[in-house]
Amino acid sequence: MDLIFDFLSQVQASSSYLARWDVVLALLVGSVGGVLIGAIPGVGPAVAIAILLPATFSMDPIVGLTVLLGIYGSSMYGGSIPAILINTPGTAVNALTTYDGYPMTTRGEARRALSLAYSSSFFGGIFSVVCLILFAPILAKIAPMFGSREIFLAALLGIILVVTAHRKHTLIAAAMACFGIWLNTIGLHPASYSKRYTFDQSWLSGGVNLIVVVLGLFALSQAFTLLHGDDEKVRLTKLKGSFFQGFRELARHPRIAGISATFGVVMGMIPGVGEFTAQFMSYTYAQKSSKRPEDFGHGSSEGLIAAETANNAVPGAAMVPLLALGIPGEALTAMMLSVFYVHNVIPGPQLFQNDMDFVVALYLALLILNVLVVIFLLIATNQLIKVVKIPNRFLGVCILILSFVGVYSLRNSLTDCIIAAAFGIFGFIMKRMQLPVVPIVLGMVLGGIMEVKLRSAMARVKTPLDFIDRPIAAILFAMIVLVLILHFRRVWLDHKERKTDEWQISHASTSFPAILSRRRNYILTERGKKLRAKRKTFSRRLTDKD
Amino acid sequence: MSDEITEHPDRPQRGQVLFAALFLICATLLLAAIEDQTKWLKGKDFFAQPRFWPAVGVGGMVLFTALHFWHLPRKPRRLPRWMREADWFQWAESLFWAVLAIGLALWLGPISAAPMVFLVAIVRVTWLYQHWTDRREAKIWVSVFEWAGWFLAYVLLVPLIGYLPVTIAFSLILTWRVGYRSRLMMWSAGVFAVLVVLVFKSFLQVKIPGAAIYEYLPGALRSFFILNF
Repeated sequence: MDLIFDFLSQVQASSSYLARWDVVLALLVGSVGGVLIGAIPGVGPAVAIAILLPATFSMDPIVGLTVLLGIYGSSMYGGSIPAILINTPGTAVNALTTYDGYPMTTRGEARRALSLAYSSSFFGGIFSVVCLILFAPILAKIAPMFGSREIFLAALLGIILVVTAHRKHTLIAAAMACFGIWLNTIGLHPASYSKRYTFDQSWLSGGVNLIVVVLGLFALSQAFTLLHGDDEKVRLTKLKGSFFQGFRELARHPRIAGISATFGVVMGMIPGVGEFTAQFMSYTYAQKSSKRPEDFGHGSSEGLIAAETANNAVPGAAMVPLLALGIPGEALTAMMLSVFYVHNVIPGPQLFQNDMDFVVALYLALLILNVLVVIFLLIATNQLIKVVKIPNRFLGVCILILSFVGVYSLRNSLTDCIIAAAFGIFGFIMKRMQLPVVPIVLGMVLGGIMEVKLRSAMARVKTPLDFIDRPIAAILFAMIVLVLILHFRRVWLDHKERKTDEWQISHASTSFPAILSRRRNYILTERGKKLRAKRKTFSRRLTDKD
Repeated sequence: MSDEITEHPDRPQRGQVLFAALFLICATLLLAAIEDQTKWLKGKDFFAQPRFWPAVGVGGMVLFTALHFWHLPRKPRRLPRWMREADWFQWAESLFWAVLAIGLALWLGPISAAPMVFLVAIVRVTWLYQHWTDRREAKIWVSVFEWAGWFLAYVLLVPLIGYLPVTIAFSLILTWRVGYRSRLMMWSAGVFAVLVVLVFKSFLQVKIPGAAIYEYLPGALRSFFILNF
């Protein structure tokens, strides 16, 4: 009870952060902007956050973070609109929504599907924020137990999870994470001030800026992809019925909604895991526990609820490792970390101890954002769906123009723009190859954290076992070992399965020596047997006279 | 003919060998330069050495990309008929790579030549396994330089001519270039450009310098333009 009372007093104290006109404006811009960005296929929150990042540096931390959080949290609401109406996910995480949302549209139930998506997303968002608000006092007690070695191990765990989460692309994801780690080392070594990989170029002495890389990899590469691609013809369906029916329908599936939201919260808190795993787990659970599993993928309301609830529960939870430990679990939170650093607000245990009001204010902002987004969607969906008609290549032009603001306003540097363009081309190539770019960003951010924390941790470590002699360090180390064992086991099982499949579909060789060899074997075995049997039939039986 | 070298459910195969080879070559060159580009300080702990994290990064890049390259589904390149039928060519080709590797080892010494010999091996494998779809994909990669060029031209012109005029011109010309010629699209491009400038430069006051051309404007107008456009 004391915890709850403490927390309520903190809510009261943190309301001073939110009761400002600029924060209210940020809430509105974040929620409406996020929905719009999510609703346009081909833009996505990563592009928008990358572009807006430098603009938020001049704002108060709470204002800047509210805008970015708003875009992050509400883009998935908007992303469900094209996923349901035109079978094209607005953001990558809405891909699973197309499985059941679009079949509902083809049945003439577009409004029901949209209403279900909104209500599920709203439930997921609110559930995660409420969980975090309740957990915040406990987190505040646990966070100070994280010293240098624990943060190093948590960052290492995050990087391993990011790599292993890219199933069947693990090796290239690991290579990209290492590329990120290397990029972060370019410039002056902070402890010895010796140059690393500067090739005697003055423009490399300051290192490679994370935001420049992010803008190149996400915004410019997306602009290049859109400019290079073709437009798609879009046919929109007329919406009939009430938007409130989804809330009533959601209330009939409390178990699926609750468990999917829990998956979202848990997966969101683990660095490097995120929406896809949460969605996959909740969708699989919903299908296995459903009375009509055959409907999944053909317009099942339970499937839609599972997918949308899980992905919207993640953004709130993803703020936990960022705020409590200073470790971003994905590219979007990695970008937000730079806003903290610019304002000299260092996320981590100290933030929870000294500035809990700020943390609670962020959670409350997320709560209000969810309410604003749902109200906006209930009112404006009919007008909003028209944005999906914006042609792709025109969007590419718009992103290119906006990217300029992002890169150039940072330091007014032509070099930054050239680096961003180079990373844009690199990102375009990676997109064409369908290879992951997120490990590069996380490698840069987590690599920097690991370098600093390992240096300070090793100063107090005499033997290797000292590194894990504290309980949290030991747990994190055990988790790293477990993740690696599970990964290698899965690789081995995949390898075995692939070999079995190859053996089953392999056909006999058509080469002439192989035909001769088979013929020889046949003669020596099958035909030989037949001949011996034939001779046995005609041969005379042995008698006593013989 | 199928666009794919082999049926792979997860990702397109075109360009994969080429990308992995290019990335591996760059990573190997970076690894070869580690001694020159980083320092090993005496008396410092192993984990606090300036060379430690670059070594982790570049070493990991080489190791994991090499494994990725090794695991890629590959199909031998279909060489021209005369190359396939001429025994001397097969011999000469193998001999060329061997002589190159041995020559490097003799010239640089076995340890310094190791990354170079590795590079030679990568180049040879890429030569043997690259496909026509890889070359077509490479052309697409190169074609993107056009858009990067447009972007850099925009960056170069803003400090000279001004954010507002260059953004409007850039938006209109690029919209025209990508194929939208209707009046609606041209108006949309112009309005979008003006809105971007108003929101970011006039309202949010992001750091974009005033143009050199604004210096020629009369007094009050000059400072108004420098501040807002």
